Amino acid sequence: MTFPLEIIFNVLVALILLAYWGMTFVILYHLTRFGIGVQPKRFAAIFLLGSVVLSVAAIIFFMNIDINLFTLQ
Amino acid sequence: MIKSLFSIFRDSTNSFTGQESGEKIILLLRKHPFTILVRVGLFGLACLVPIVVGITFLSYFSAHQWLNLFFFVSSVWYLGFWLAIFYSLTIYALNTVAITDRRIIDSDQCGLFNQKISELHNNRIQDVSVHTNGVIETFLRFGDVTVQTAARDKQFVFHQVPNPDRVKDIIMQITASRHSGVR
Repeated sequence: MTFPLEIIFNVLVALILLAYWGMTFVILYHLTRFGIGVQPKRFAAIFLLGSVVLSVAAIIFFMNIDINLFTLQ
Repeated sequence: MIKSLFSIFRDSTNSFTGQESGEKIILLLRKHPFTILVRVGLFGLACLVPIVVGITFLSYFSAHQWLNLFFFVSSVWYLGFWLAIFYSLTIYALNTVAITDRRIIDSDQCGLFNQKISELHNNRIQDVSVHTNGVIETFLRFGDVTVQTAARDKQFVFHQVPNPDRVKDIIMQITASRHSGVR
């Protein structure tokens, strides 16, 4: 019973992270490709750093979730 | 090696797409930082939501062993929050007015895939005016700069740029030197 639920959760989180990193790529591309001056490059660096930290945090918190809490007993 | 790698965060030649050879940017304008700080401040309120929910329902989450789930949902919330802030900052950073020694390039970024670029050659500039509206704009010294072109009804308006008087003076100086043939 827990197996499909775990897969659903994993796929859902993978899709969320994929969408997030897709959007992150678009923003980073715009900042570095079309930005004039140093300010867009600084924004891009801060954004990338924050995205990596938050994504790692999200993955760690997700791994700590006990899926069995959501299964029907 | 590392020093030169990080130099892109300090110095820039201010090059841009479509730059002509030998063309130099004299002034690069963006909206006053106050305009983006207001928006980021509003996002800051959204940042408080997981903290408030966490403080309010901490004992409830602990009792039901939902603390890890709460941390995960909060981290996803902050991912969205981070994305929203930098989306706004990207639009802010890409909305530029570049005043070069040959022309003025106004780049309006309305969305990530919605951009409008207008260009005005210096010899077509007729008149420049400044409009400062309200207490905040007066005290923080930002406002709108309107450039009237030779075509009667064509106007370029640069919204909420810092030090509009200085911008007007520089544009007039460039235009005058262009008309008198001085480079």
